[in-house]
Amino acid sequence: MAVHFINPDKTSSIVDVLNSDPEFKIAARYMTKDVCIEVGKTKCIVKFRDGVVTEIKFEDAFAERWDFAVRASVDAWEKFLQPIPPRFYDGLFGGMIRGNFQIEGDTTMCFSHFWAVTRLFDIFRELQNS
Amino acid sequence: MARFEPMTGKYIFLTVQGIEYRIYYEESGKGIPIICQHAGGSQTLEWRFMLNDPEIISKYHVISADLPYHGKSLPPESEEWWKQEYKLTKSFFIDFQLELSRALGLERPIYLGQNSAGFLALDLALERPDDFRAVIGVNTAIKAGMATLEKYYHPYIGNDYKRATALYFCAPFSPEKLRRADSWCAMLCAPPVTKGDLNYYFREHDLTGQTKKIDTSRCAVYLLTGEYDPTSSIEDTIALAKEIKGAKFTPMKGLSHCGMGENPPLFKTYLMPILDEISSKSTKKKS
Repeated sequence: MAVHFINPDKTSSIVDVLNSDPEFKIAARYMTKDVCIEVGKTKCIVKFRDGVVTEIKFEDAFAERWDFAVRASVDAWEKFLQPIPPRFYDGLFGGMIRGNFQIEGDTTMCFSHFWAVTRLFDIFRELQNS
Repeated sequence: MARFEPMTGKYIFLTVQGIEYRIYYEESGKGIPIICQHAGGSQTLEWRFMLNDPEIISKYHVISADLPYHGKSLPPESEEWWKQEYKLTKSFFIDFQLELSRALGLERPIYLGQNSAGFLALDLALERPDDFRAVIGVNTAIKAGMATLEKYYHPYIGNDYKRATALYFCAPFSPEKLRRADSWCAMLCAPPVTKGDLNYYFREHDLTGQTKKIDTSRCAVYLLTGEYDPTSSIEDTIALAKEIKGAKFTPMKGLSHCGMGENPPLFKTYLMPILDEISSKSTKKKS
């Protein structure tokens, strides 16, 4: 299963969907952070500026600074993105409790914007299965 | 014509460990009493379906109270509570149940709780077996895993964080409207309270080396755990159940951490056989 949200060809349409999602717009309000997402060895940076996703950056992502990172294996993301995920892969927090997902960096800011982060991943799942 | 629910809400004054509290509680039904204790960081709202279920309240007297600092139960007026950080202790949690039961004149009620209140089911069975005819612990374990609590009460982290965790403590099969209601309930908790409740959950509940002392002939022990619950997994509860002679464990397929709120009809299919068994045993003892 290809993980769609790390496909650079789909980036612009993903950004459009995120910024037009009513729940995401409320959840991400005021958020100005760079979020690193790692799918196995693949890395991208989701750039938030005042509640809007301005860019999902792949090129030179390894050299970019970020505020916090969410990391999981390819297998974990594939399970997470299923329409009905298996247990311990259905939510970021539960996945963290069970060791399937890790967060690093400024974890306080991650939890400060946790609603936006979790909605971001829900939209990734919706797009994966649409 | 206005619609009303059968449950009613009242206030009662309870003195627990020498301090008087004005406690909000809800009740409905007649029959064997069941104390439904809300989880940490929650309130009586999580038992609303049970308090209004026609079949359950035709056979049972269902009671649910907000702990002090939760829901409609304020901190105590006699104390300068703002000068210390709120912390739920095991001894207070136990004494609260005993005082609630005594004040309402309940005769050896069934105790039902989930999450931290589920952990309390085991502590009650261990420490006060003659005060309850049975306990039902939902999502329980011998002890919780390790956790740092600082993120649960931090000036940079608002209650939206609770919404974003509670939403995924419901199984993906559960109806979205109920998952969203559950996550809203989690946000209603005052900011310091979840962290304070987790003091009991993570720090004080520990049945290591204690489980074999639980006597299920004095207080029956039933355990239910949701398939998707990441906090206490089915495997965690099996490990607990194996150590308590006579304890009965049922895994709840299709449910997660918040069964009675996320999918009440499905939760009821697991709960009713337990209530019926307790009821049947109570009738036999009387006759």
